[in-house]
Amino acid sequence: MRLVLDHVNTRRPFWSLEAYGIFETGIHLVSGDVGSGKSTLALVMAGLHAPTSGAVIRDGIGSALISFQFPEFHVTGLSVAEECASWGLEPGIVIRQAGIDVLSETPVLSLSRGELKRLHLACILSKDCDLLLLDEPFSSLDCPAKEEVCRQISRRAGGITVIFTHEQGIFPEIDHLWEITGGSLVDCGRMPDGLRHWQHAPPLVRLLLETGRIPASLTPKGLQEAACRTRD
Amino acid sequence: MQDPRLRLACVLLLSLAAFASIVGAIAVFLWWLAFTARQKSIRHVRALAAAFLLFILIAVVMILSGSDGLSYLVRMTAILLVGAWVYADSQPGDFLATGVWMGGKKTGFELGMTAEMAMGMAEGLFCDFSRIRIASIQKGVVWGPRSLLPAGRVLICDALRRADETAEILAVRGYRGGGTVCTRFAVTVPGIIATLCAVAAFIVAIFPRW
Repeated sequence: MRLVLDHVNTRRPFWSLEAYGIFETGIHLVSGDVGSGKSTLALVMAGLHAPTSGAVIRDGIGSALISFQFPEFHVTGLSVAEECASWGLEPGIVIRQAGIDVLSETPVLSLSRGELKRLHLACILSKDCDLLLLDEPFSSLDCPAKEEVCRQISRRAGGITVIFTHEQGIFPEIDHLWEITGGSLVDCGRMPDGLRHWQHAPPLVRLLLETGRIPASLTPKGLQEAACRTRD
Repeated sequence: MQDPRLRLACVLLLSLAAFASIVGAIAVFLWWLAFTARQKSIRHVRALAAAFLLFILIAVVMILSGSDGLSYLVRMTAILLVGAWVYADSQPGDFLATGVWMGGKKTGFELGMTAEMAMGMAEGLFCDFSRIRIASIQKGVVWGPRSLLPAGRVLICDALRRADETAEILAVRGYRGGGTVCTRFAVTVPGIIATLCAVAAFIVAIFPRW
């Protein structure tokens, strides 16, 4: 199973994005500055936005889901229960998984942005799909919620998961690093070697690299392990 | 047309002309052919097509109930084209500048600012609507007229929330009402000719009623 971006080019007035790469099974992190084209690339990879040139080739991918930055866009039910049911899920289980203190009959649009985001991510991460595209999954979340979402993402078995984010603190178990820089998608490489080429690396990761302590993973545990490691 | 004041005058005159009679609607259509970029003046083709379908539906209902549905369809289509043109031709700041010019620093500024915010929000609505549609389809929802209700609910709630936040931000920044905008309007010969023709279309539209 793989997704190939075959010399994809997306152009708009005063803005363009070039992308070439192969996304194989695993968890991919695409980082980039605000406005660099992460959301556009997510739409292109989901097949929802036609590139100006090039092609998106899906090899062995049967189902795909995209999660937008703003969870409101996904709402189709009136209550929390209806919203969970619209995903074909049991409300009680989803509410527990989301870790939010709401009743099933609570109007879904009365939830705070953070609660709605957690509910939406619990729903979408409960679904099985070959390709899961998460556009800024950590926005509107506090640190414990980010960590919980990371655990849920890391637990996803099989399939291709692509996280588009400018998050700098908390990450799931990433397999492959990418970044958008200078209007192009750059393949930094697999973890942990890819960290050496990662221009958008968070300050802590950069510090660890400078001191020769390369983290094996980007999870809080992986970073902690690297930070506590005795230098050779 | 660069002068927003002339554009506003044209919209008012052409809308009234199209609404007044079939002759007016035809005159408006000719004006649209002569003074706009035609197809390029339509920024959101799908939204325009949806509105057009709605007008067809209403026209059919009118015809079935014995009213003049065809006249309604022709007149509303002309108004729709004018609306699409002014939406595509407008630049950020046009409503604010025109509002202050017409109504002064207090009422004019506030009306202009409100219109400016509404236009900004309208632009975002198309993008939001597209994403809601995608999100619904991936849930297995068959997109149709029944899907518009939940989509509309999300859009309205979001628009109200944004409006509330904007109002709070303005209050926090110390806004109490009114303001100053110094705009230089670019009056051009083609703009004046288009406006005079819009006046002519209006006169033609109301002439048969005398």
